[in-house]
Amino acid sequence: MKQMTGYLIILVLITASAAVAGDTSTLSGVSRTLNPAISVNGLMRAQVADKNTSAEMNGFQMDGVEAQFTAMVDPFWKANVILGLHPVHAEEDDAHGHATTYEMGIEEAVVENRSMSAGLGLKAGRFRLPFGKSLPLHMHQYAFADAPLGLTSFFGDHSPTENGVQIMADVPLPWYSDLNLYGVSGESEAFDAANKDLAYGARLTNLWDVTDDASLELSGSWLHGQDGRHPGESQDVDFLGVDLTWKWVSSTRTGGPAVTVTGEVLFPQYQEGPTDPVGWYALAQYRFSRNWWLGAGLGQAKAEMGLDDDPDLHAHGFDGDLREYKLNLTFAPSEFSFVRGEVGRYKDQITGEDDTRAILQVNFTIGSHPAHMY
Amino acid sequence: MKRPLMLALLTVLLAVPTAGLAKVKIVATLTDLAWIAAEVGGDDVDVTVLCPGHRDPHSLPAKPSLARKMRKADLLVYNGLELEIGWLPTLVDAARNPKIRSGQPGELNCSLALGHDDILEVPTGEVDRSHGDVHTLGNPHYLLDPRLGVAVARLMADRLAELDPDAAERYRTRAEDLAVRVDSRLASWEALVRASGNGKIIAYHQNWEYLAHWLGLEIIAIIENRPGISPAPRHVEQVIVLGQSQHPRAVVAATWDHVDGARHVAGKVGCGTVVLPGATGGTDAAVGYLELFDTIIAQLADSGGDS
Repeated sequence: MKQMTGYLIILVLITASAAVAGDTSTLSGVSRTLNPAISVNGLMRAQVADKNTSAEMNGFQMDGVEAQFTAMVDPFWKANVILGLHPVHAEEDDAHGHATTYEMGIEEAVVENRSMSAGLGLKAGRFRLPFGKSLPLHMHQYAFADAPLGLTSFFGDHSPTENGVQIMADVPLPWYSDLNLYGVSGESEAFDAANKDLAYGARLTNLWDVTDDASLELSGSWLHGQDGRHPGESQDVDFLGVDLTWKWVSSTRTGGPAVTVTGEVLFPQYQEGPTDPVGWYALAQYRFSRNWWLGAGLGQAKAEMGLDDDPDLHAHGFDGDLREYKLNLTFAPSEFSFVRGEVGRYKDQITGEDDTRAILQVNFTIGSHPAHMY
Repeated sequence: MKRPLMLALLTVLLAVPTAGLAKVKIVATLTDLAWIAAEVGGDDVDVTVLCPGHRDPHSLPAKPSLARKMRKADLLVYNGLELEIGWLPTLVDAARNPKIRSGQPGELNCSLALGHDDILEVPTGEVDRSHGDVHTLGNPHYLLDPRLGVAVARLMADRLAELDPDAAERYRTRAEDLAVRVDSRLASWEALVRASGNGKIIAYHQNWEYLAHWLGLEIIAIIENRPGISPAPRHVEQVIVLGQSQHPRAVVAATWDHVDGARHVAGKVGCGTVVLPGATGGTDAAVGYLELFDTIIAQLADSGGDS
């Protein structure tokens, strides 16, 4: 951890020295002109949870700080690097009891080819898996404070990030249709990291412009790998997902009304494991004033193992029937900040335990941050 | 004997339609640019536009379907001066079309048609985001001065001539024809506004600086003083007080602005509100770039009352 922080400091110092170097680059070899675009995003939360699952997160904490660097490498490649600091919850500190510590990770380090034609694209490096609608998003893009339970129960709290290669291709249909094929190392939480077999998958995105203001997206995803619930046993797991998004944004007024409705269903298929596991969520967001959004969402994660199943499986994977219901109100005075108040209710249908959380979230972005896709 | 004949026939069959259909495919970010491209390109080009004229070009949603429109383009023409920075880079990446990437012949930043002195409101002091969405390279709304639209037409003609040398002369001739048509209307447009009296206006957003500069209008205050950020009530009050002392002819807003806010200020100041098309296609009357100015000038000239 300390070593990683040291690397980050060195990286920042190198960048800073380049930034002040000005026009002496012929002599110094560092140039401001060729620096990458740099941005930093911070996401803080204050949370009160009444009991159970999330109690260790009560109080204030930084959900994450991400530094992003983007630049052209040469005429053939564009690179994007995101270094993230995220909390490791409830680590025991002998002197002070519970203390939040932060772990540094490479969120993304990817080059994208710029010279392929015919609608083809190629990415290589470390990236978020292009599976479904929510998983590829960064935390500050989530519609709610946390990613949907229907996904995190099977993939872990953080979006799966993998090392590998992606190929993108335009599908020649009358509407927008894009195919993404990828092969990755299969090391994220859902997979058996010790197994050296690759994970691979595909996503087909389809989008129709229904009117000038409205669009409909219907997409399907598939992902195959070695099941992380059975470490060392080479058991297969497949994830199938379908997502549907309807968006309407008033085209006649800047910051006018807008509505987004998204639903996503995930079907994990374990070679050995729970019967008919499923995760899903549905959410709606409504911009009712220039800077104000109202959000509502619900979801479920269900994977029942049966009483006689191997106890090891319970330890390695999700088992239960969890449901969530969320409401939030977001004030976004610009695209570079927001403050969000959220109330969520979480229920375990099997144990009967429940939990209510109230969250205040603050997000900020500084620097030159690339715009997000629609 | 038969074989060479067949080959020759095949060559002719393949070559003739290709020559006839080889239009330059242009994607324009804005309707003004699309109109100019269509005028300069004529039958030699096909033009597609990304941002409709009734939509604020600062905040077009970067829909993947727009990227699809760009995939087969030979030429991307865009406004520049960071007007489209919130969506165009994302779309260019998503389009995966190497012809229109930065530095390629198929990429044309139309603000390069402007001379250094043509660009208004280039920030001179320290700039940061506490000032709102400030365009650090200067005010990007230059297409609201038709003389600069002509400069863009000539730049487009030159670029099209590079991409399609066979039609070079036609492109340049059409650009000069357009220049003549604009020139023939300039004097009457200017006279109409001058004759209609008081040249002071209040603007909702900083869209109208080039228009005002051309027509000799004076923008005495901007309601949205930090671009892209809702104006603070205290600032709106200051604008009203200033307006009440300076008696502007109107509060001017684009169709996509918060027109209610403009009307509120106009009501307090005691002048009219003029809601103008911000681009070609912004209203039914503004069907072309020249009609855009016909509409704007007519509404400004008639701005004694609430339009």
